[in-house]
Amino acid sequence: MTALDPVQDGAAGLVPEPGEAVRLPAIRVRIDPDEAAGFLRETGGTGTGDFVPLTFPFRWLALPEIRGLILQLIGEGFLPVHEAQSFVYEKSLRIGAEYVLSVEIFRKENPSRLTLKMTVSTGEGEICAHLETTLRLVRLSAGTPS
Amino acid sequence: MTQAEGDKAPLDWPKAGDEIGPRDFGPFEQDALVRYAAVSGDDNPLHLDPEAAKAAGLAKPPVHGMLMLSCFEPFIMGWRNDLFIARLSAKFLRPVLAGEGIRLLGRVLRSRADPGPELILRLTACGPGGGLVILAEAAVLHRPQTG
Repeated sequence: MTALDPVQDGAAGLVPEPGEAVRLPAIRVRIDPDEAAGFLRETGGTGTGDFVPLTFPFRWLALPEIRGLILQLIGEGFLPVHEAQSFVYEKSLRIGAEYVLSVEIFRKENPSRLTLKMTVSTGEGEICAHLETTLRLVRLSAGTPS
Repeated sequence: MTQAEGDKAPLDWPKAGDEIGPRDFGPFEQDALVRYAAVSGDDNPLHLDPEAAKAAGLAKPPVHGMLMLSCFEPFIMGWRNDLFIARLSAKFLRPVLAGEGIRLLGRVLRSRADPGPELILRLTACGPGGGLVILAEAAVLHRPQTG
């Protein structure tokens, strides 16, 4: 999950015009107990690892299907700088449960930003959480990101 | 997030103006950034490669913003463990570099006891020297204790 995977074939055809959103096909995930416990351990959490940390869904941005498209939209010569992040929970996520991710990504220019919106739902369609990530895209030669 | 019907605020339910913290997290050494990259999948070279950080004009790799933001959950739950964080939104304002830590502070902006106890919290993370690095807001609900 952490590898720099190439853009998936399915995502390659989805690259949009500037400002146009791309909606990825639904992605199924399962919250692995060990992954949740490791995440909790490295983020200052305490406890027995029997709950899903609030920011854990951010990890799913590293899934090849999502990451590949993010990298493609960022393009060469830009550095993504995390500018803003939000999580909204309708319902707690559970260890071991399976979820469906709906993901929409779009890039805007002047200034360059990439926005990703993800909805986490149960297999039955019940919405559990939303997250939104904003990345500012800094040209590598442009100087210091703030 | 919906609350249990009839849930009432406990007698010690916080009120507007109540302060949370401060509490320190870190310092986040470079090996902590490597470990966070492994568990989060965020292996952006900016956080892991000093040369990439230099190319971006930084003296050292910056701490992942999400690693710092993740600290708000234990911060809030360490304050009160009868809460459910329904919303957390944040802006990352300045980088914190490897080897540095943050200090979290919070304040209750609004408090509702009935119907459905809810708090709106203003949260901040400050870096070395007290500079503001994250400005955040959270909506938290009362979660009745079970057992």
